Amino acid sequence: MYTYGRSVMENVQPGKYSFLNRSLRRFSAVWLSVLFVLGFGGTALGQQVAVSGTVTSTGGSPIPGVNVRVDGTEVRAVTDAAGRYRLSAPADALLTFAHVGQRPVQTTVAGRTTVDVTMANISYLEEVVVTAYTEQRRGDITGAVASVDVAAAKNQTSASIIKALDATVPGVTSQTSGSPGSRTTIRVRGISSFQNNDPLYIVDGTPVQDSYVNFLNPEDIASIQVLKDASAASIYGSRASNGVIVIETLKGSNTGSPKATLRARTGVATPVKGYNDILLTNSLDYFAVQKARYLNAGQPVPASLIGIYGDPNNPSVPAYTFVTPGAVLTRDAFGRPLTVDASKYSYPNSLIEPGSAGTDWWSQVFGSAPVQDYNLDVRGGGDANAYAVSFNYFDQKGTSKYTDFKRGNVRVNTSFNRSKLNFGENIALSLDRHYGGIPDDPSTQAENGILGKDILQQPVVSVYDIAGNFAGAKGVPADNSSNPLKNAFDRKDNISKDNQVFGNVFAGLKMTPQFSLLSSLGFDVRQNSFAGYSAPTPQNNEASFANGISEYNYQSLDWTWSNTARYLKTISRSSFDFLVGQEANAGNNRFLSGSISNLLNSGIDSRYIQDALADPNTKNVGSSGGRNALLSVFGKAGYNFADKYVASFTLRRDGSSNLAPGHQWGTFPAFGLGWRITNEPFLANNRIFSDVMLRYGWGVTGNQQIPSGRIVSTFGGNRGDTFYDITGSNTSIVPGFRQQALGNPDLKWEENRSSNIGTDIALFEGALNVVLDVYKRTTDNLLFDPRTPGTAGIAAPPIVNIGKMRNTGFDFSLGHTGSWWNATFNGSHYKNTVLSIDGVQTFFFGPGATRIATDGSQTINMVGQPIGAFYGYIADGYFQSAADIAAHATQDGAALGRIKFRDVNGDGVINSEDRTIIGSPHPKFTAGLDLGAHRGNWDASATIFGTYGNKIFENQMDFYVFQDFSSNVRKDLLANSWTPQNPNAKYPILDINDIYSGKPSSYYVKDGSYTRLRSLQVGYTLPGQARYLPGARVYVQGENLFTKTSYDGLDPALPPVNASGAAGDIRDQFMGVDQGAYPTSRIFSIGIVTSF
Amino acid sequence: MKTVSKHALLRGTGLVILATAVLYGCKDFLSNAAEPQGTLNQQTLANRAGVEGSLIATYRDLDCTNSLNRPGGWGCAASNWVFGDVAGDDTYKGSDHLDQSPINDIEGYHWGASGAGLYLEDKWGQVYEGVVRANSTLRLLKEVVTTSPGEFSAADKNGIEGEAIFLRAHYLFEGWRMWGNIPYYREDETDFRKPNEDSSAVAADLLKDLDSAIKLLPSTPRNGQVGRATQWTAKAYKGRVQLYDHQYANAAATFKDVVASGTYALETSYEQVWTAFFAKENGKETIFAYQASANDGEPNAANANEGERLNFPYSPSHFACCGFNDPTQNLVNYYQVDANGLPLSMSTPSSVWNASDADFNAGNLTPVDPRLDWTVGRDGVPFKDWELYSVTWARDRTNAGPYGPKKNIYEKASGAQTTVGWQPQQQSSMNIHLFRYADLLLMLAEAEVETGDLNGAMGLVNQIRTRAAQSAQGCAASADNNVAARYPQCTGDSRMAVPINDPSITWAKYDVRPYGAFPDVAYARAAVRTERRLELAIEGQRFFDLRRYGMLVAEQAINNDYLPNEKLRRTYLAGAEPIAERHRFFAIPPIEIDLSKSGSTTNLKQNPGW
Repeated sequence: MYTYGRSVMENVQPGKYSFLNRSLRRFSAVWLSVLFVLGFGGTALGQQVAVSGTVTSTGGSPIPGVNVRVDGTEVRAVTDAAGRYRLSAPADALLTFAHVGQRPVQTTVAGRTTVDVTMANISYLEEVVVTAYTEQRRGDITGAVASVDVAAAKNQTSASIIKALDATVPGVTSQTSGSPGSRTTIRVRGISSFQNNDPLYIVDGTPVQDSYVNFLNPEDIASIQVLKDASAASIYGSRASNGVIVIETLKGSNTGSPKATLRARTGVATPVKGYNDILLTNSLDYFAVQKARYLNAGQPVPASLIGIYGDPNNPSVPAYTFVTPGAVLTRDAFGRPLTVDASKYSYPNSLIEPGSAGTDWWSQVFGSAPVQDYNLDVRGGGDANAYAVSFNYFDQKGTSKYTDFKRGNVRVNTSFNRSKLNFGENIALSLDRHYGGIPDDPSTQAENGILGKDILQQPVVSVYDIAGNFAGAKGVPADNSSNPLKNAFDRKDNISKDNQVFGNVFAGLKMTPQFSLLSSLGFDVRQNSFAGYSAPTPQNNEASFANGISEYNYQSLDWTWSNTARYLKTISRSSFDFLVGQEANAGNNRFLSGSISNLLNSGIDSRYIQDALADPNTKNVGSSGGRNALLSVFGKAGYNFADKYVASFTLRRDGSSNLAPGHQWGTFPAFGLGWRITNEPFLANNRIFSDVMLRYGWGVTGNQQIPSGRIVSTFGGNRGDTFYDITGSNTSIVPGFRQQALGNPDLKWEENRSSNIGTDIALFEGALNVVLDVYKRTTDNLLFDPRTPGTAGIAAPPIVNIGKMRNTGFDFSLGHTGSWWNATFNGSHYKNTVLSIDGVQTFFFGPGATRIATDGSQTINMVGQPIGAFYGYIADGYFQSAADIAAHATQDGAALGRIKFRDVNGDGVINSEDRTIIGSPHPKFTAGLDLGAHRGNWDASATIFGTYGNKIFENQMDFYVFQDFSSNVRKDLLANSWTPQNPNAKYPILDINDIYSGKPSSYYVKDGSYTRLRSLQVGYTLPGQARYLPGARVYVQGENLFTKTSYDGLDPALPPVNASGAAGDIRDQFMGVDQGAYPTSRIFSIGIVTSF
Repeated sequence: MKTVSKHALLRGTGLVILATAVLYGCKDFLSNAAEPQGTLNQQTLANRAGVEGSLIATYRDLDCTNSLNRPGGWGCAASNWVFGDVAGDDTYKGSDHLDQSPINDIEGYHWGASGAGLYLEDKWGQVYEGVVRANSTLRLLKEVVTTSPGEFSAADKNGIEGEAIFLRAHYLFEGWRMWGNIPYYREDETDFRKPNEDSSAVAADLLKDLDSAIKLLPSTPRNGQVGRATQWTAKAYKGRVQLYDHQYANAAATFKDVVASGTYALETSYEQVWTAFFAKENGKETIFAYQASANDGEPNAANANEGERLNFPYSPSHFACCGFNDPTQNLVNYYQVDANGLPLSMSTPSSVWNASDADFNAGNLTPVDPRLDWTVGRDGVPFKDWELYSVTWARDRTNAGPYGPKKNIYEKASGAQTTVGWQPQQQSSMNIHLFRYADLLLMLAEAEVETGDLNGAMGLVNQIRTRAAQSAQGCAASADNNVAARYPQCTGDSRMAVPINDPSITWAKYDVRPYGAFPDVAYARAAVRTERRLELAIEGQRFFDLRRYGMLVAEQAINNDYLPNEKLRRTYLAGAEPIAERHRFFAIPPIEIDLSKSGSTTNLKQNPGW
């Protein structure tokens, strides 16, 4: 069955051995003798020879980390980075070479001193992967389970490996911002529900729901499997509806002596694109736009602008944009201060702000940032134990000033074998620190963040005032932006800390070779805290003179105790695999927050919430918390007949405390069938199809991810909502209460039924591997809180099981492994459709809260459309003539050069009834391409990712095109706006009175497709005889070097904004809206990997 | 081997069963974790404290709260500034073009078109949240009275019930004057997708509720707490509903009852009405007010007139933001008086009294009613006791005009400003009048005109005018404001209110005198209506008043007197549509019509024309 690798004979050349080798040889012999005397006395003892050699892949590249073992002894070695090993063995010994993912090789020494072997990749279906509670051979898997190319994923610099999943595994989308350590929105096969669509992660058997996964050092990860369909995932029952991602960390190895690997990488990041590529950076160019806006409207340039730029026909940069009254010594002909009495300046009340010829705000805030990543892991062990200890330090500064993400991580994985018992633990301690106030998960009202509106501050505003304090737009008409550099500076000491202990302890008992028990107690202990500062902004038009601090502390404990029993039985050509198990999970959390304002001393050491340190009247503290529990039993039966017919059945029952008594328990069945056609006689030894497996799976998964305690109605109140000054005292209030949330005593499970047809095909002896899956998933009884009528009041609506959603799609991967190169192409497509909302409503709006979304939202959830579709008017070009206006339906503000909206319902009036679906943020197709090549000591790899057919709603146009709040504008706005001579311009007419063209419309909807070279790495392995660091691999890496897109906003790789409703996270209803996302970074780095 | 295997199987199964049993045996494992955390339940509140607390929460909804769902933003303001002032001819939206753009749709009378729906939804949500809170109070009261009869004295029980019913009527009155045809909810109703009632049925329901409240309520505030409604509050409201329902004789009778009780009186001078001085708040003129509080422990000043916070002058004034609800040129022109000290608009057509497009700034000595400078911030005129109002305080003068609202501005010396919140200088403990005695007197005058008692009406109007003549804006100069720099005569003169002919006044010439006669009904009607606008400008009444006068009157005021001129002054108003019959009522928020569907039935019917 196994094909043995060819072994190359080489004659022994005695003179070549050095003294060291001779010593080693002698030492090994002595050591072996002792061992043999102690424990293996019965083994025949032949003549010892020193054996060495190189292990290579079929493609010729060295394979490091291969276990080489002298059969029947404890003598082992591990190959180094150059694939070389060395050991002593009897001349007639049998050597076993073993390595994950490679077919094991056995060969006899046969008197040789050099034994080189070539190891072949294990064919896809022979691979053993960890899926649900057990290891399984691929050939026994009937569900859609994709393995992540972990090596490729690690080639992207990130605190978390999940950011890279979309390119390396089909059927998974990931959306993230360029902010270091920020969250990643992972979706498996579309979107299941109106809310809470994060997948379940199983890390070394312990379930965890987390959108960051920053606690896992990417270098600690050995494998990742994505369970995409219900037949694979339903063993995780209640929490598997959004897919399950099973992660195993690197374990110890029975290599004997400790083996250490050091990985170090350092680099520098810059944003892929900046607003200075898009926006004006010259004050007078900016004035020219404003002037056109007035003149086109038939209005003179207003005094307020003349007060800044002087003569409209000969504008000039003002000496000052704001001078405190009384400090002006002389004025020019336009009333602009020319000279000032600087002694009148005092901060914060009497400011003097110089004008700027053009401030490039982007460059003030964004620039290059270093990243460093150091890992050391030590692994080893013997028959009775195995251990892996790793250390990680990761520090990535943000490309935005004053931001930084740091992480320290220690992991200890050990296991012990004692007769039939094995036990051990996998524990990671992770501390991360996130400095700076740039929100990495901005909300729907993100405009005041540094990437929202503030970066659009006018170029005439200076960075600093005459005293070196931060300047602002005070005095610049209608500009209500803040100085973005100040914004960043003020928050530089804001710190978010995450401390986490995550892992499990386990014990297994192998009672007979067929029957084993395993018990595992997993735990996830977290503490998250934040301390933030808000500074006064006296230099703003909307000046604020108060400062304040806020902090919070969140603690949570989740534990999962699972017990499984497994029984394997083979009768003749049938083999059976039974698993029964039971699991209990409980969690609790508590959140404590406080704030206080008007600090007497704003120094960082005084930022505590204490009466004496600030205005005690502003002190606000609060706490909240939650508890939840899950109880489960489950079973799984697998049947395999002659490796030809495979069947599996799973059944799980889950009880959830979040649901109503009587409805707490849900049952989740699934089955899968597999047919390995190539094992049928008619395809046996087929020259094309080496291995073909057909799979079908069906199953039900559940979702109960809603806030706890929503079964009953709850009451409460707070000082700003229900308390009232009934005595007319002006300064005191009397407590009051109201109903806060309506309970639903009938809450039950949300159910997701999915079916999947797939095939795994190996062609030409595995030279080409194809995996293709087609699926349909329907979520029913969707947990969701449809809005109640206003007449019912503002209590949170009950969460009800209403709504239905469907996802259909396919995903595939094509892989080729050649002699010196390999390539894997992953592609996926999904189509999401809302089938029903509550049986009555046909739509409800997304959570949009931007300034233009005055009439609902830019996004809508509508029956027959995908979740979060873009909604608005259809922009039909511009009004070109009076006749055009007259012929068109009645439209508010219709005028030349303004945007013409389509009369969709044909009633002759343009009103909100004419809004319609104007695009979808969902991609039609996403693809990833992993490439690898090696020649001699050189190797190279690249990952390309692309998304096609998705649209972006460029909300930032509200500012940089339509000039909400007189923000800065696009460079080409003046030249490219409508005029009678330029009727097909990119932008509508510049018209100060045009408040109509900026309504949400298809004008904002842009193609969001892009193709990006995510990473490119070139490595060189130093020869074993190199003087320094022999066997070490050094590499250079570039990330996001190249992007092809037609999107002319900042970056098409947009994270969905943070939106939440009473039932949880609803960001999937507001995808693809560009409110100024932190752009992706281009990173150049160098690294080294060395073992010793 | 086989036996070993069996034993192992048994032992293993035993272990699993044991482990399972341990967890399942503890059968509370799931139910313990199901308890909601950090909230109260119905049982906790079924007592005196719960009932009183529920009633307090009902009062609090009079203004925006920090939990009201506010899709538009400020439509929940106690003062109704968006629907009463901006929708009428008193104020512009203000600020710049795109800021709070949904108000543009209210201002341009495009109430069915787009953003208007959001602001209308603010108001709708606030109205019905108030009704829900009132009804919860009534239900809880009933429950407690049934289960623990000793919990309340009869007086308290009646008082609570009366207050809750009164508040329900207040909220539904607000809804009624906005939309006319609205659903009316009492405490025993559970179907929140009820069809709307006809406007006249709503009026009958309101009167019924107010009659119940009048019977139940004491004549002085319960517990001596001035924020509470009394039977006189309810009675004043009853007259208001009757007048809005054009039951003039009934209204006159009801109002006269209130007047005769001597419960209320006019403040001696006008600036004492809208004031933040503690000693003057809740004076005799207050019938019902939102009791604002500042520095009350609420860390974000949510109780300090959240609904008004946009309506302060913009930077570089002390208030820094946001320049909304700015008086119109039309309103400023309206304060001109003729040689007899009577409103110029009474004796000249709008082409005369409303001719001035120019900024009405300090030093323009056209005689004006002194109430102008208690109502409107004008360039160069002292701004209460702050400093000189400056035209630079307008956020975007092209859009918002040169003036600023003044009544809602707290006096610097009152110390009413909060110290907390986003922009503390925009929030204060100044109460918002929901109903004041001058308003009642002018309503009585209106009823008297319609019932033929012209002399009675003139007496009431003159009472208002006489009071208006008691004071004018004074220097209010202080060491740290720049008033004395421009007006040397003000040096050392810190009086905020002075006689209207005080020599310190050089920025204006004031005159206001009583009418000598109401020659006929038409004149009397015009005089009462004119007085109402002058007296109650920017108090959220104007547009509702116009509609009450009838759509013909409203159309005359808006379509003929206001829009044609104002379109030239504020070019953005070019997009405004003339009002018509359908503007009798606001459009019901479209979202509420959608949400009222049960099955294929749309229960809430949209108002005619929308």
